[in-house]
Amino acid sequence: MIKIENLSVAFDGPEVVKNVTLELKDGEILGVVGESGSGKSVTALTLMGLVADTAEITSGRIVFDDVVLREAGKPIDKALYRKYQGAEMSMVFQEPMTSLNPTVRVGRQVEEMLRLHTDFSNEKIREKVLETFEAVGLKDAETVYASYPHQLSGGMRQRVMIAMAVILHPDLVVCDEPTTALDVTIQNQIIELLRTINTKEQNSMLFITHDLNLARRICHRIAVMKDGRVVELGKTEDIFEHPEETYTRELIEAVPSRLKRRTSVFQGKYPAEEEECCPGRSEESLGEEEAVGGVEGQAFPPVVEVRDLSVFYQDGSNSLFSRKKRHAAVQGADFSIYRGESLGLVGESGCGKTTLSRAILGMNRDITGEIRHTTVRPQMIFQDPYSSLNPAKTIGWLLQEPLRAAAALDKSRAMSREDMEAAAYDMLRRVGMEETYFHRRPSQLSGGQRQRVSIGQALITNPGLVVADEPVSALDVTIQAQIMELMQKLQQEMQLSYLFISHDINVVYKMCDRIMVMKDGEIIEIGETQELFDNPKQEYTKKLLASH
Amino acid sequence: MNFFIKKFITLIMTLFLVSVGAFLAFQIIPGDVVTSILGTEATPEREEQLREELGLNDPPVVRYFSWAGGVLRGDLGRSYQYSKNMNEMMPVAELIGDKLPVTLWLAGLAMVLIVMVSIPLGVLWAKSGNRFLDAALGVVTQATMAVPSFFLGILVTFLFGVVLKWFAPGSYVSYRQDFGGFLGYLVFPALSIALPKIAMTARFLRNSMLTEMKADYVRTAYSKGCSRQRVMYGHVLRNAMMPVVTFLGMIIAEIVAGSIVVEQVFGLPGIGRLLISSINNRDFPVVEILILYITFVVIFVYFLVDILYRVIDPRISER
Repeated sequence: MIKIENLSVAFDGPEVVKNVTLELKDGEILGVVGESGSGKSVTALTLMGLVADTAEITSGRIVFDDVVLREAGKPIDKALYRKYQGAEMSMVFQEPMTSLNPTVRVGRQVEEMLRLHTDFSNEKIREKVLETFEAVGLKDAETVYASYPHQLSGGMRQRVMIAMAVILHPDLVVCDEPTTALDVTIQNQIIELLRTINTKEQNSMLFITHDLNLARRICHRIAVMKDGRVVELGKTEDIFEHPEETYTRELIEAVPSRLKRRTSVFQGKYPAEEEECCPGRSEESLGEEEAVGGVEGQAFPPVVEVRDLSVFYQDGSNSLFSRKKRHAAVQGADFSIYRGESLGLVGESGCGKTTLSRAILGMNRDITGEIRHTTVRPQMIFQDPYSSLNPAKTIGWLLQEPLRAAAALDKSRAMSREDMEAAAYDMLRRVGMEETYFHRRPSQLSGGQRQRVSIGQALITNPGLVVADEPVSALDVTIQAQIMELMQKLQQEMQLSYLFISHDINVVYKMCDRIMVMKDGEIIEIGETQELFDNPKQEYTKKLLASH
Repeated sequence: MNFFIKKFITLIMTLFLVSVGAFLAFQIIPGDVVTSILGTEATPEREEQLREELGLNDPPVVRYFSWAGGVLRGDLGRSYQYSKNMNEMMPVAELIGDKLPVTLWLAGLAMVLIVMVSIPLGVLWAKSGNRFLDAALGVVTQATMAVPSFFLGILVTFLFGVVLKWFAPGSYVSYRQDFGGFLGYLVFPALSIALPKIAMTARFLRNSMLTEMKADYVRTAYSKGCSRQRVMYGHVLRNAMMPVVTFLGMIIAEIVAGSIVVEQVFGLPGIGRLLISSINNRDFPVVEILILYITFVVIFVYFLVDILYRVIDPRISER
């Protein structure tokens, strides 16, 4: 039995964890759910004795099987903690690539657990590690043992982390966002694995996540944290069926299913382009087809037409001697994006999503086939608003930058200084920010506000098409919902088309009119959202959507 | 294996380009070799005769290839400045062969000092949470880095030579006469070279380790129950060595090419001093070979650094 009693933790003054009380029974999985800054990670790290030395325990204590590990007012007893860390309590981290030492073979890293806490012989240690690898579903245990982290896939690395965490059968395993960095299909496997381990070992698990849906799938009980406090704690079913706190309700609703499915922007039928795709057709026939599309009575000219597009990248070093190899990252892509529609692009990492979007943006020029734009240069909304805005510039300057760039490329688009400023102020309003932000810098803005600026930057040149690469995945769920609403609003106002790239099926489902599924560089399926969800034709699409 | 072949070809090509460049440079630099050998009093006939002897009247291309061919056969040419006896000019190979051991031993000693002192110092520094030690080391290394090496040489001479009398300044003995005495004398110039580099390397390693301490895998190591000691030596040091290895490579390249100032201060007949006097006297054959030597050293050291990288970080060889 592990108890966190009335725990408060402060870093140089303000408390980030306030009077948190949690109990973990044997065999129980307790979810701690909250947005970034809610104190969930600090609580877990304090429990594990891993919180930074600058953290001060201002109240409460941590009790592990009747032993007081940490108490307010007393410095941490590191020697005592070291006996527990690894042996009695262990942790699985979010990012398995960086959480493993890149220069040490993974076998040795797992071995270290046994070397620290047991006096097994070398042979026995090796045997035990291989056995544990097999138990967590690493098939070729010998090969994995001798591999370095970068030689393994993300899922395998996380399995290694889990093997390391459970090899000594600890009473407590803390999982801090263990699947966030993984592809959806892998996520499911890891969740299953954790559940199996929990059932078999009857250990306690503390499962930390920002994703309520995920917590729902694995946790027996859930604690919702906000601003350092536990605002609600109860059985998983109760939390979902009768959430008592408004915040919990907000969190449940913020999961994108709250957004209404959009139909208003884009009505009518699509020209049946998928059936008649034939790479060799001539320009004239293309023109005719457009005309046919228009005859339907609906105005949806394409903003971009992609015909039999393959995108290549050059492999290998810039060496003088080795031959460069040319690989196709995207093969035979054939589709159009119509005015006012959102086209979702889904697939696992490495499937060619980003390469395709870069080609459409004109950033990847080694292509065959055709990309025809009917509007001005498409713009992009980036994933991480923290690193995509130049920290040294003001918001006003950043918003005007695309206008300056456009003027530099095309003299006819040059604008006067006053016009540019006016456009920037106008855009600031459109993305729902006050004018006072004009003179601020990115560091003074929250993540959601930064993403608004990023959207403003993309829209200020009035492009027909905007490529949004995971525009909300770096944001907290409640902010996600706001940003998606903003994107929908602007889409209507400005008749925008989105190419919406995301790994989050829920987000794509709510945002997009049509969905395009990519696998290994090829578009394997494309269809209207509801149709695709109801009748996926490809096995792979089914698998991908199953995680929804 | 491919890697080694590539590196080797790069080495050959670089040496070729550098040799052409150095050769051309001496066509442009003003001044006449013949005048500097014979003096201004010589008769025009004598000058012309010498020109013919040295092959200076041949077209540059012919001269380059005859010289380069000689180098490939092991004939490095003859010095214009030094003579073996009255009638014979000093072969460059012999000249450099005589001075090279001085520079190499000096560099070797300095390098041993740098590695032996700076790495433990850097680790110790990173490890200590002690604020006083931290500040003290900060000041001392900063000062050591800032002092120019000739002044450091003078300080070392004064302290160990004049005050402590551990060695007699200016009493350099050739390695041919007394190898022990030679090494004993070299320790002090080596110390002058090493001190600022020790300060830099230690500081660099400390910063690299402190940065590395923030990495995710360090937290993982702690979560297993590793002590700080174990995390430092078992996990962090190796990763933190990457930038330090590059830095050490730069230092080696620099001191093996000859520490001109320190050789001057301690009166050592090494490569650095030879280079200066050869340039001053337009001793083209010597300078050309020295340039090739320095180029070779730099490329070779970087090659070693490349290999070390691969040993330290398995990710690199697969990129």
